[in-house]
Amino acid sequence: MTSNRRATLFFIALATLIIVVGSPFLGLSHATSVEIQQHILNEIRLPRMLFAFIAGAGLSLCGMIFQAMFRNPLATPFTLGVASGASLGAALYVFLGLSFSFIGIDGTSFSAFIGALLSISFVYYLSRFHSHFSTETLLLTGVAISFFFSSLILFIQYLSNLTDSFRILRWLMGSLSTVGYHDILQLLPFVTLCVAVVLWLSRELNLLMTGDEIAISRGVNVQRIRYALFFISSLCVGAIVAVCGPIGFVGMMVPHMCRLLIGNDHRWLIPATLLFGGAFLILCDTIARLIIAPAEIPVGVITTLLGGPFFIWLLIKSKI
Amino acid sequence: MSALLEVNNLSIEIANTTLLSSISFQINNGDYLCVLGSNGAGKSTLLKALLGIINPTSGDILIQQQTLSQLSQKQRAQQISYVPQAHGPQLDFTVIDFIKMSRYAHHTALSDWASDDQDAFEKAIAITDTESFLQRQMQTLSGGEQQRIMIAAALCQQSPLLLLDEPTSFLDPHYQAEVHQLILKLNQQHGISVIEVSHDLNHAVQHSSSILALKNGAKMWFGAASEFLETEHVHTLYDQQFVFAKHPQTGAKIALVSETL
Repeated sequence: MTSNRRATLFFIALATLIIVVGSPFLGLSHATSVEIQQHILNEIRLPRMLFAFIAGAGLSLCGMIFQAMFRNPLATPFTLGVASGASLGAALYVFLGLSFSFIGIDGTSFSAFIGALLSISFVYYLSRFHSHFSTETLLLTGVAISFFFSSLILFIQYLSNLTDSFRILRWLMGSLSTVGYHDILQLLPFVTLCVAVVLWLSRELNLLMTGDEIAISRGVNVQRIRYALFFISSLCVGAIVAVCGPIGFVGMMVPHMCRLLIGNDHRWLIPATLLFGGAFLILCDTIARLIIAPAEIPVGVITTLLGGPFFIWLLIKSKI
Repeated sequence: MSALLEVNNLSIEIANTTLLSSISFQINNGDYLCVLGSNGAGKSTLLKALLGIINPTSGDILIQQQTLSQLSQKQRAQQISYVPQAHGPQLDFTVIDFIKMSRYAHHTALSDWASDDQDAFEKAIAITDTESFLQRQMQTLSGGEQQRIMIAAALCQQSPLLLLDEPTSFLDPHYQAEVHQLILKLNQQHGISVIEVSHDLNHAVQHSSSILALKNGAKMWFGAASEFLETEHVHTLYDQQFVFAKHPQTGAKIALVSETL
């Protein structure tokens, strides 16, 4: 069993490496001189790829956390309205013309974080107060929150001037086309922190998947672990959404595929999800960049196009 | 000898509804207590309080002279383990992973699987005779097999007190008998103290050492299991008339539901 998992993880790592090494060179042929190619690679492709890897890994990790906590593959930060909460936070930041930063981190990230935390608290509150809170209700609550926040964002957009309105719109599509090295630094501390905490709590995540009663009886302080995980994933989702918008469904598809590949033991699942998630978003971004080249479409469009059918497949499979 | 578990005037109220009122009892090392009562009598609430899922509104619970609410969840798990009802949530784990996970209370985030973990694991497998299931997926096991794994996992936790919540409900008679025998073996041969919530009156009377009968959240009777059928309480406990017979093999007194109203 362990050797199987080791082999699977090795193949995921190998595939990731191939994608990481190969993707920046795709679509370079139109550049005429070697210097221009070099410049594109170093200043545009490399930061974009690094960013896509970190964002993809972070989004997948947060999806994995939610799936484990709610014991449901359909429960992710996006389906439960956390990402739209973060978007609302970021949109409000732009609309109010705020401009602050704290220890080098943009205020957008903090606003998005607060938005994410608010919506997660709301979903959690509801799921606690109804003892028989079914999957349907949980997801419907998420949908309702998403709609609600989306309409608030539209409202803000409507009130904004043209420039702000366009800035908000560009995010909501979820794009990686303009990211640079600065954006990587906006993201890295949060994703790193999230990875560290989740690795630290991998045994607890395993036990959470057995249900609250068993987890508690095995010695897990379920309430405290939940709060810690909600907090840390809000931070992570907030940071990602603040920079590149809500890139949907990555957090649902990647961890679920990894579970199928490597099983539910989080000590194996976490590294698999991080690698797979990073590589997956790079791949989607490369497709987004090439499919109607020289123009490109936002990567969020690609992930959502893949994610929609995947969601429906899960829905049918789980027979809820 | 001091008591293993002491429950003093335990009351639990949730949203102004009294679920348990002033329950007191104690059990010693090696006891096998069955908790009986009709649906909604407070049995599950009592179990949840012992697990630390619900906090007492008043009164206290002492395990080895330590107040339960002052222990960390890990310390509680080192004292008390738990077997849920059969057919709980889907468990997407292999048997071996699931059992090993129950060593959690003996670990920190950085500690490795050590030789005492392996000893506890192998002992639990041997006692429950579950060696042959280890590589299987939990969902592929039958209800009775799953309960044996649940018991193995609880044993692996190495706590002196084992709580079981109707461990044989939803099982067929063969598996019921098998699980009952296993619990008896743990209690008699391995010195594990047991608290079992049950609806099986005859099982409780024949196998356990003492019985706690709950009705409407209050203690109705607490005493030696052998005396329970001698009292009138058995009828009032369930609001049901019983007649009694002798078990053809053991000669023990058993209760049967009366056919006349």
